[in-house]
Amino acid sequence: MHIHKLEKIWLVFGIGMLGVFLLILGISTFSYGLEPPSAHQAVNMENLYDTPPFDELGLNKLNDKEYEAILTAYVFGFNTGDEEFTVPVGSTVHFKATSPDVVHGFEIPGTNANMMVVPGIINHVTYTFDEPGEYLILCNEYCGVGHEIMQTTITVK
Amino acid sequence: MSQTTEEMKTEKEVVRLKDNKKTKHEEVNLKGTFASVMLLGGFLIITWLAVFILFLVRNG
Repeated sequence: MHIHKLEKIWLVFGIGMLGVFLLILGISTFSYGLEPPSAHQAVNMENLYDTPPFDELGLNKLNDKEYEAILTAYVFGFNTGDEEFTVPVGSTVHFKATSPDVVHGFEIPGTNANMMVVPGIINHVTYTFDEPGEYLILCNEYCGVGHEIMQTTITVK
Repeated sequence: MSQTTEEMKTEKEVVRLKDNKKTKHEEVNLKGTFASVMLLGGFLIITWLAVFILFLVRNG
């Protein structure tokens, strides 16, 4: 089969570009865990608040400046346990979230902390807070009439 | 409607190619197509990189 010289160039260019993009996405997914919520981490919604880790909502200190934040997103708010999250500057927080009702979002605007919160599935995102301040956490997935009031905060000081 | 010289040239070329079955594929002028493909490719690379760099910057 004969292929025009210019056609060869753009075929190699196009396939090469696709290869590079897919390689970077593959590395991000498998090495850094940047993957969509999956059934690998499922939770029974029938007795969600009796099932670990959602039986104890809130912050758990794992190490020096490393925390685990367990929360649920519901219509129309975030259940962060007894109090809102507060961590020292430079802390790395592993957020673990699920929903007892419909699909919600979890986003800290201006950061990469952004995930879907899907009923029956535990999703997670990790973020390191290097700057002090009060960070807004909001729902970015339209979940019903009270969607716009659905928010909480994490204080870094 | 008056045609531009370039359009007339292209039409002539198409007629010539239809007439001459033996015309080699190599003779087809693909420079314009090539330029379009490269421009589209460049646009995709720039926008993809812009989003990816934004992601890396926010990752700190």
